[in-house]
Amino acid sequence: MKSEFLKNWDTQLKKGLLPLYVLLALSNKECYGYELIQDLKLSYGIDVTEGTIYPLLIRLTKENLLTARWVEQPSGIPRKYYQIAEEGKKNLREMMKNIDIIFSKLKK
Amino acid sequence: MKAIQFNDKNAQRVYDEYIRRCQRRMRILSEKDEKDCLLEINSHIYEFIEANSGNNEMETLLNILERLGAPEETLKEVVALKKTKEAIRTLHPKHIAQSIFLNIGNGIFYIILSFLAVTVVLSPVMIILKLIYPENVGCFYGEKYFFFGYSSSAPNVNEVLGNWFIPVITAIGTALYFLVIFLLKLKNKNK
Repeated sequence: MKSEFLKNWDTQLKKGLLPLYVLLALSNKECYGYELIQDLKLSYGIDVTEGTIYPLLIRLTKENLLTARWVEQPSGIPRKYYQIAEEGKKNLREMMKNIDIIFSKLKK
Repeated sequence: MKAIQFNDKNAQRVYDEYIRRCQRRMRILSEKDEKDCLLEINSHIYEFIEANSGNNEMETLLNILERLGAPEETLKEVVALKKTKEAIRTLHPKHIAQSIFLNIGNGIFYIILSFLAVTVVLSPVMIILKLIYPENVGCFYGEKYFFFGYSSSAPNVNEVLGNWFIPVITAIGTALYFLVIFLLKLKNKNK
């Protein structure tokens, strides 16, 4: 069983890595909010709520890392699809490089 | 925006109230931004309910609303981000003031910016006061005494600007206004 300290550390780590996970998930395909949450859960074991992902998507869009488009649905309730932008791809490459550096130093 | 229809009347009431709370929080935004935010919140609710359609309607709705969180909290950052974008795009003094106010909890930078904005707002007030009380408003200078603004009882000091106070305060106000815009743009460029 994880100690309280480890649980907190784990939460903080995942929170800090969330923008990376989002960019990574969207680098494979465009997603709408609910789909992205399911993807993060299945692919990376991250359980993130709508209340966390929604402001993050808006922030990443504002910083030109993502782009978004509305797609009409037969239900009449459209979906907002997010895609990774060129700036997002560039940032993702840098983030992955940094992660590699951190892990290679940790494994030494 | 097309509202989601529930079979359970209580679920409908809970949903309608949540949307109303979102609308209240977004009232400060432009019509376009408000519509965009509302559509997105509605889409989150709808997709979750659709994916869990076999379950109890009310329970599913409460689950997604809990996951979305209170609109006052969840929308805080979104509203501040959208308002800042609008302020930079329009350069409208009202939007700039609202953007600074919404971001005031985001660090010392916005506190400084709010002081500058208040000074800008005070400039025309000082001009009006100068016209009403020409003796009490100005740039007062004396031994160990320097004061710029309104003074109800100026002791043995000279008011050095006279009627030049009005163009000087206009120039300061204008310069500070552009400084606020510049700093706001700079901050959001570096983000």
